[in-house]
Amino acid sequence: MSRPGKIDILTRVEGHGRVELVRKGKRIVDARLNLHESPRLFEALLVGRRFDEVAEIACRICSICSTVHKVAALQALEQALNVRISQQTNLLRQLAVQGGQIESHALHIFCLALPDYLGVGGFPALASVAPLELQHGLKIKALGNLIQETVGGRAIHPFNLLPGGLGSVPDAQQLQRLADQLSAIRDSVTAMITFVSSLNETLPKLPALSACAVSGGPPLFGDRLATSTGVTVPAGSAAAWLNERNENNTHAKVSRFDGKSVFMVGPLARLNLSMPTEYGKLLDATSITDSLKARIIELHQAVERAISLISQLLNEGLRKETPSTITPHAGEGTALIEAPRGILLHNYRFDERGICSAANIITPTAINQAAIEMSLKSLIAVNSDAGYKNIKLSCERLIRCFDPCISCAVH
Amino acid sequence: MKRLRLAIAGLTACSGCQLSLLNCEAELPQLIEVVDFHYFPMACSPALLEGEYDAALVEGCLSMPHENVLLLSLRKRSRLLIAIGTCAAWGGVAALKNGESRKELLQAIHVCDRISSSGYSPQPLHAFVKVDAVISGCPPEKEELLRLLAGLLRGALPAPIAYPVCTDCRMRENLCLLTEQSRLCLGVLTLGGCGARCPSMGVGCEGCRGPVPEANLEEALDICQQKGYDRQTVIDRLRRFCPEWKS
Repeated sequence: MSRPGKIDILTRVEGHGRVELVRKGKRIVDARLNLHESPRLFEALLVGRRFDEVAEIACRICSICSTVHKVAALQALEQALNVRISQQTNLLRQLAVQGGQIESHALHIFCLALPDYLGVGGFPALASVAPLELQHGLKIKALGNLIQETVGGRAIHPFNLLPGGLGSVPDAQQLQRLADQLSAIRDSVTAMITFVSSLNETLPKLPALSACAVSGGPPLFGDRLATSTGVTVPAGSAAAWLNERNENNTHAKVSRFDGKSVFMVGPLARLNLSMPTEYGKLLDATSITDSLKARIIELHQAVERAISLISQLLNEGLRKETPSTITPHAGEGTALIEAPRGILLHNYRFDERGICSAANIITPTAINQAAIEMSLKSLIAVNSDAGYKNIKLSCERLIRCFDPCISCAVH
Repeated sequence: MKRLRLAIAGLTACSGCQLSLLNCEAELPQLIEVVDFHYFPMACSPALLEGEYDAALVEGCLSMPHENVLLLSLRKRSRLLIAIGTCAAWGGVAALKNGESRKELLQAIHVCDRISSSGYSPQPLHAFVKVDAVISGCPPEKEELLRLLAGLLRGALPAPIAYPVCTDCRMRENLCLLTEQSRLCLGVLTLGGCGARCPSMGVGCEGCRGPVPEANLEEALDICQQKGYDRQTVIDRLRRFCPEWKS
């Protein structure tokens, strides 16, 4: 047998990162998140490609978030090229995004995060310690994938979502089947809200975080950013306001906002800005350690929203459509959308031939780095005597509350 | 049946191949019983390479020195090493501009900082280690991953696919997008096994599974040209997933 290899990486998160603890004498005085994943340089890869290739390539940034990347890229390029899409396409895209939300949240809650609360290493052990919850979770997750597959053609990297429309429009029977299955899991989602709320949180309560989310459109969509501190930023100025910079300890750019403020993005931030009254008492929407509850609540919202989108589509009657014809010309477009982990921004410029001349993609985990950094500092401040190993584990656990998607962050 | 001891790792990639495995929701409970997901950082803690593995399933291409260290360690510890997905097999989307200077690409978006300047142009696994089998696709089909695991449990590897997407398309009795509708479709040059997912929904094959063996590039380029797609457009599309295509 060969010696165990020391692998110092974050587990049960998407992508590659690690926590670095800073010692002073015997005490741990600071903790830093280092996203050391290799940058694939997507913004540079996209330059020079034709408009009809941009979304296909950009969605490869991340598998978990591929549908939302695809839709954001399509919206940005359609805006740049003045492409109008039908109401049907718009509703179907929203449905696909809700499917992605369901899949991503179910993956996080029932496979990646739950082991933290039940003291096991991963989903295989959940089969013995929480078999029923794992079973419910996988069923919900599968349905999120089925929605993405029905609309997008594939659960990961959905090829059927095209500039100007869809390759094939799903038929009424397919959508009805989805609606039936969604109605059938409603009860189990509600039961899981109770279950998740009953889990014991071992992390200490940390200082409140300000929140930022997309607003001004249907759920998860919009044309501006809004913060819990009362700031509103239109899509066109969002990139400048987020203020991404290169920093030495991470391969992902870091949003520094005005240099002083820090905002979290994601499920908790979204609920912070628009809390459904029935859940107001269930969680503190400024406390990052309540993020698992925020995710299960959002999972419930996504199921309800998907049901209502399908019923609207069926009521209006599905029509066979071909994607709008696109005449290339010079232009620029910016899309804002809520990915499962928070604000996602895609911005493209095209030249008169419809060739991409500049791209800028800002992802939720990149934005969340400042909030993670601040939360880690607070955790160390209250926990500095807990010993190296325990501190490291709680830091990893705290980072998991943000459900980081590192491939998105670094891209 | 002896449990299968696996190492599942992601390198430079989107985690989509690993997610495809986690997307086998109906089969996961059964897989848990017969597979020991010993090293699987995306889904299990702790991430500790320990002892030997029946197989290492590796997603992604390589573009940083620390990935070479991990890959060599996986190779050394594993009886079989399997490339999962197009990035591991061919380089994939990340290798799209391998013909250009990485330094310039970095400078275009990142200020070339000390950490990421140690990277290099993305390379597939076979550039560094012996690869025992390849499951291609961006992402691979779930069924292919399940077949792989079923085979490994019985000590076998799946038979390599040697037919193009066109074969899948004919099996589904689709109209040919390229010859009958003059739409750009790379199916004739692309490895099959996907059930012609995209053409079946009226979307041209984008070549995500990489080149089919003995692809007749010249003939395909001629047909595409007759349909109004010049050589360079087709080659550029092909290189979206595999930089080895040459004009």
